[in-house]
Amino acid sequence: MKHYAETLYDSYGQEFRVDRLYFENKTDHQHLVIFENALFGRVMALDGVIQTTEADEFIYHEMLTHVPLLAHGNVKSVLIIGGGDGGILREVCKHTGVEEITQVEIDDQVVEMCKEYLPNHSAGAYDDPRVEIVIDDGANYVKNCDRQFDLIISDSTDPIGPAEVLFTEDFYGNCKSCLKPEGIMVTQNGVAYMQLDEVVNTALRFKPHFADRSFYSAAVPTYIGGIMTFAWGSDNPAARQQTLETIEERYQSAEIKTRYYNPAIHLASFALPQYIVEATQV
Amino acid sequence: MKRLTVKTIREAAPYQQLVAEHGSPLLVLDCDLLTQQYKKLSSALPGVELFYAIKSLPHPAAIDTLHQLGASFDIATSGEIELLREQRAEPRHTIHTHPIKRDRDIRDALRFGCTTFVIDNIYELEKFVDYRHRVGLLVRVSFPNPDSPVDLSRKFGCRPDEVEMLLQKANALGIHVKGLSFHAGSQCPDASNHVRAIEACGEIIHRYNEQSSRSMAILDIGGGFPVEYVGDTAEVDIDRFCAPIRAALATLPEHLHIIAEPGRYLSAPSMEAVSRVMGKARRGEQVWYYLDDGLYGSYSGQLFDHALYPLTVFSDHDEREAAVIAGPTCDSIDVIAEDVELPSLNIGDLVIGHQMGAYTSASATDFNLFERATIVAINRDTESDSATNLLHLAYR
Repeated sequence: MKHYAETLYDSYGQEFRVDRLYFENKTDHQHLVIFENALFGRVMALDGVIQTTEADEFIYHEMLTHVPLLAHGNVKSVLIIGGGDGGILREVCKHTGVEEITQVEIDDQVVEMCKEYLPNHSAGAYDDPRVEIVIDDGANYVKNCDRQFDLIISDSTDPIGPAEVLFTEDFYGNCKSCLKPEGIMVTQNGVAYMQLDEVVNTALRFKPHFADRSFYSAAVPTYIGGIMTFAWGSDNPAARQQTLETIEERYQSAEIKTRYYNPAIHLASFALPQYIVEATQV
Repeated sequence: MKRLTVKTIREAAPYQQLVAEHGSPLLVLDCDLLTQQYKKLSSALPGVELFYAIKSLPHPAAIDTLHQLGASFDIATSGEIELLREQRAEPRHTIHTHPIKRDRDIRDALRFGCTTFVIDNIYELEKFVDYRHRVGLLVRVSFPNPDSPVDLSRKFGCRPDEVEMLLQKANALGIHVKGLSFHAGSQCPDASNHVRAIEACGEIIHRYNEQSSRSMAILDIGGGFPVEYVGDTAEVDIDRFCAPIRAALATLPEHLHIIAEPGRYLSAPSMEAVSRVMGKARRGEQVWYYLDDGLYGSYSGQLFDHALYPLTVFSDHDEREAAVIAGPTCDSIDVIAEDVELPSLNIGDLVIGHQMGAYTSASATDFNLFERATIVAINRDTESDSATNLLHLAYR
């Protein structure tokens, strides 16, 4: 393999030079490729779609983790759905106040291969004593789960493939039952400019389950086509309306080091372009 | 081509060697011949991207050989996708051409990385609403060809006058139609139906691009490129066959990307069947020879594909007698050739079938649980062992 062409869109796409191929295999669930690229470092792709790169993963993982965690202010328990590369886990583990972290990943090969070839993603987080790893379908897990969490993070692939069930109303409803009353759920929701249907669908499917719903965003270079959106659902509207001072104070006391996230970005990320505002008024 | 050729016993030696090594029945795929066919068609259709229709011979060695030559691939099922995945074919160079698909077929193709699909009706179009940001569609148009032995226009394809309605509907649904496709037939006697279809599609594309803010940029001219079977009098000259197609394509706008889906033309001449006489009987005036391969196996194309394959037997004697060549199963329909004049064959003798790459093993069955012919690929690269290189399959 000399080049890796992403096949997310028919008439447009990004292509990487493969400077070194580390791994390519069809797992029981999906086609996994890990390779080296001069500009982005190690790159992981599933089913023809870029999932994460060493160079720009910090943006995605910091934003999907620290925004809800600091907005909530007192997260003790976290449920991660997907996230097999370990990046979300690493960021959650930075918060010393978090006591229990459960991660449910469907594809154990993704976990093993990422530990081996993308070790900086998890950075040892899989060995953290607070962490419990469950190899299971995330939708199945929340359906049968009798625990409740302060925060649920859905770090899934796109909705074609094993993650399809992680974009259904049933899944969101079951997640809601696994949330504490003040809890927050966030999900990766695709690049809105390219995949507006996904944003609209999530807005519709969150509606029956969460009193307060919104999206926030960040631009991740290898998720091509503009800003990536994250869906936000909670029954506590205050969580999304924290002041800069509050977030600043929590950020300071958390003593975490970040490269993209900061309190100003936190607040600004909820400002959405008009086309997303209109599309999500459902 | 004539039905039967008798060669000398000595000429059976390379086949004997293959059978000694691999057993019988065999299908011998000569990758050199496949390469030659690909190059001939490429030069007869310059500038046309060739998507090998892998249904005609879905074999890893065939895929690998064509992949290394830079061919693209035409797929129709998830099974074919898995074969391409194993051969490391680039998904960007594949198209999914089955006009009727289940949702999971679409998903499997998208997950592989194939984003081009074919539709020919409104129900099929609507299946793409959920995937509209990811796909580009071709509308398959039907041009009936009464001269083709296999009429591919009856089961699939919309009428030319239905295209506009489908395009309007697609635009309303936010689904991009990027071009048209057609199938002029299979084993076409000449290119007149191709030319007619190219002209008609060119006209539809021109009209649409003038009137619409969107553009169609692809014309898929399908397959139908002929090979020689028994009864075909003239030798196929693919360059001459394609001359009118080249002329018709030259009148189209330059930006139009032209693609084709050859299957049979590439695979048919690349494979020969090697079978052995496993029994004989004198019944009335005729001698019956029972081979270890037949209509339920490699010769299935005689039923499904309407093809009659040239046969070769080996003998040093001049006497001939009326004979029947039958397959091995218990069914009386399993007869390969009747009323042929054969030299006397012994049990264990070889019978060779030629032009047997396309729609042979692809449609073979397991009836009677008779084992299928083993496919042996030879000349996969120039360094392969000299024993198999002894065999040159070119019939003629």
